[in-house]
Amino acid sequence: MTALGRVRRQVVSPAILAALAACGGGEDGDGGTEPPPGSSFQIQAGGDNVNDRFSSDLWVHGAWAYTGTWGGAPRNGARGDVVKIWSLDAVGAPTLVDSLKVPAIGTVSDVQVSDDGALLVFSAERGTNAGLYVYDLTDPRTPAFLDSALVADGLHTATVAEVAGHRYVFAARNPTDPALIIYDITIPSDISVAATVPIPPAYGIHDTYVRDGLAFVFAWNTGVIIYDVGNGIVGGSPTQPREVSRLLTSDNNVAGGPQVHNGWWFHNPVRNEQRYLFIGQEGAGIIGSQSSGDLHVVDVSDLAHPMEVAFFHLDGAGTHNFWMDEDRQVLYMAYYNAGVVALDVSGVLAGDLSDRLIAKIQPGGTADTYTWGVQLAGGSLYAIDMLSGLWQLKVP
Amino acid sequence: MELALLAPAVAKAQDARSGLWAHLGAQAVVALERADPVPGGGSLAEVRVVQPVLHLGAGGLGPLRLTAVLNLEGATMPEGELALGNWGEGFVDRRHPHTYVHELIVTAADLLGTRPGAARLSLSAGKGFVPFGTDDPMVRPFLRYPVNHHLAQILERAVVIAAVRAGPLLAEAGLFNGDEPERPGQWPRIGGRFGDSWSGRVTGTLRRGLTVEGSYARVHSPEHRPGAGTDQDKWNAAGRWTRPIDGHPAYVLAEWARTSEADGFFVFHSVLVEGAWSTGPHRLQYRFERTERPEEERIARFRSLRPHLENSILGTTRWTTHTAGYEVVALRRRSLEVRPLAEVTYARVAKVGGGVIDVEELYGGRDLWSLALGVRISAGGAMHRMGRYGAAENETGMTEMTMQDHHSVGR
Repeated sequence: MTALGRVRRQVVSPAILAALAACGGGEDGDGGTEPPPGSSFQIQAGGDNVNDRFSSDLWVHGAWAYTGTWGGAPRNGARGDVVKIWSLDAVGAPTLVDSLKVPAIGTVSDVQVSDDGALLVFSAERGTNAGLYVYDLTDPRTPAFLDSALVADGLHTATVAEVAGHRYVFAARNPTDPALIIYDITIPSDISVAATVPIPPAYGIHDTYVRDGLAFVFAWNTGVIIYDVGNGIVGGSPTQPREVSRLLTSDNNVAGGPQVHNGWWFHNPVRNEQRYLFIGQEGAGIIGSQSSGDLHVVDVSDLAHPMEVAFFHLDGAGTHNFWMDEDRQVLYMAYYNAGVVALDVSGVLAGDLSDRLIAKIQPGGTADTYTWGVQLAGGSLYAIDMLSGLWQLKVP
Repeated sequence: MELALLAPAVAKAQDARSGLWAHLGAQAVVALERADPVPGGGSLAEVRVVQPVLHLGAGGLGPLRLTAVLNLEGATMPEGELALGNWGEGFVDRRHPHTYVHELIVTAADLLGTRPGAARLSLSAGKGFVPFGTDDPMVRPFLRYPVNHHLAQILERAVVIAAVRAGPLLAEAGLFNGDEPERPGQWPRIGGRFGDSWSGRVTGTLRRGLTVEGSYARVHSPEHRPGAGTDQDKWNAAGRWTRPIDGHPAYVLAEWARTSEADGFFVFHSVLVEGAWSTGPHRLQYRFERTERPEEERIARFRSLRPHLENSILGTTRWTTHTAGYEVVALRRRSLEVRPLAEVTYARVAKVGGGVIDVEELYGGRDLWSLALGVRISAGGAMHRMGRYGAAENETGMTEMTMQDHHSVGR
């Protein structure tokens, strides 16, 4: 499945900034903000708004949101060949305004808008037209096709990142020949391949998170592989990625092994550190019903020697894609049948983080929740649920 | 009659001076198979040559025996056999073609000698069946494979088997590679996989013709060849009865199977009862089965995604099937037999538990019908009871005849 690990700008509402300003120091007294006291999510808007297909990934940018569709199984006879286009009103409530249909694909596996809002980028699986797609967002309501790169086995995720003045997409090519493919989309109407890095087929690469010239490749039972793609730590670049290190996280007794799926490198502005890498483990699941897998926390303060230091487990469910409110030191996790989870990741993280749970919510209720991804934007947390559609949540 | 049941193959050649012997046989079924509805709705009918095999048994070189089966389904039905409910090896609602080398086993038999009443010990190695579960459906009366094939048999692996028979008890243990074949021309993955899985089976003969057996297998990553997949714990218990009733050959098999995958995250059960009864050239047969099947993402109407990308499924379905069949020996010339056959299957499909699988949407209904009309053509020696090697063959030292050969005792 896809994930949301990638470089992005944090969008922090004035209210949150005010709250941050009012907060005291961190848990070990080095200043900054504390996470909010235990409270709950609240549904602000949305939900039960995508009934023709199962939903997949999301991206919110400004007053617009884009959500993918999943076609591992048909819903009402339809596959996941559509990107839904949403307008957000003044308070951020989503309204479905249009759909972008792509022929001969079965799933829109990942969606992202470039930081400047100029491009809509998504990956596609299952079908003769599987691959990478780039659209122009001059009119956000009506994306205009620019270019595509077809990939026979499909792309599982596509992460847009800027490196040294160029715009790249770090894409995860599915088995049978899994690889990290780095596309140069600086000229978006002319996609070119900058590099292809083979990944062991166990089961291959699922997602990539890119920040500060480092690409974190989440490669299932091969673990997480850190590549220098422009950071300079080992002289890598987007055209010549160089491995910095790799780590196979614990399986936490989840059947199937570490199943390293997605992640987020936490830049903590409160503690002024880039110490923790959060990794999602995607264990066995029954899509729409059950899931398994834990959050793993890896200390990457020494990038050459990453070390697992903590985990979070939720009974009866498994984690999927992440988003962070770094200023508030809160990790938001889509948690499939458990919905959305907020975790306090302030201070030092060690061992079992179960007492760090802030709140969780099943936006579609117990029978209609299987949440794929989350994104914080405009002060709201948007959650895309495979079963019940796009939700706008008020964070705790 | 019992001697007839256990008779050696017809087409047997033996060199009196060297003691070397071999028996060779072949069979195939030309069948028109129709299913209604099929995934996506509507019906589908097609003609295929199914189960085309050449089989060889040879011995006489000391304790060594050779068992070999060449299966040509990869050539005659590369896209599988239309068979609602069947699944495995990337096929769904079609039975996958088997690998070309279905069995190639060398057995060192009677390693403790051949004194009457003494225990028998054998070692077998090669490519073939793992000592687990019940007989391969190909050597049972029905043309159609049961839904539980991948719950009740483990085959086409690189395997080493030790078998010991003492009185009415038979114990077998096997070491093998867990990965299933991915295509007909593929060999088991020995490097890095051989020995990652094991099984054991105990069989007791309660009385002549009546056996009970229990088996267990621990299979590592069966559905992902490089080995990153989830493991299976498989259990099987069965009773098998093969005796004539008033001179008419009869056969009954009752079976229970359970496969737990991913440490119990997925559990699939199966109960199956089947029987056959022959009179003269005619044979009647009936099978009842209730089996749970994983529903995987499909990349086409009859294909599921391989290799796996993750360990999720869409849900579980339960298949309750009734299959009735008739087969008749229409022609017998020396060792050539021609047997027309007919089978009809009714299946009712239900969703078990959660997940996004929608049976009604997939098939357009929950009641499924299948029909097979065919002609089984066989020549040469009789098919051996696949998967039983060395001491696991019957107590006479000869491979027990299968139900496919019951006609010959009904004459």
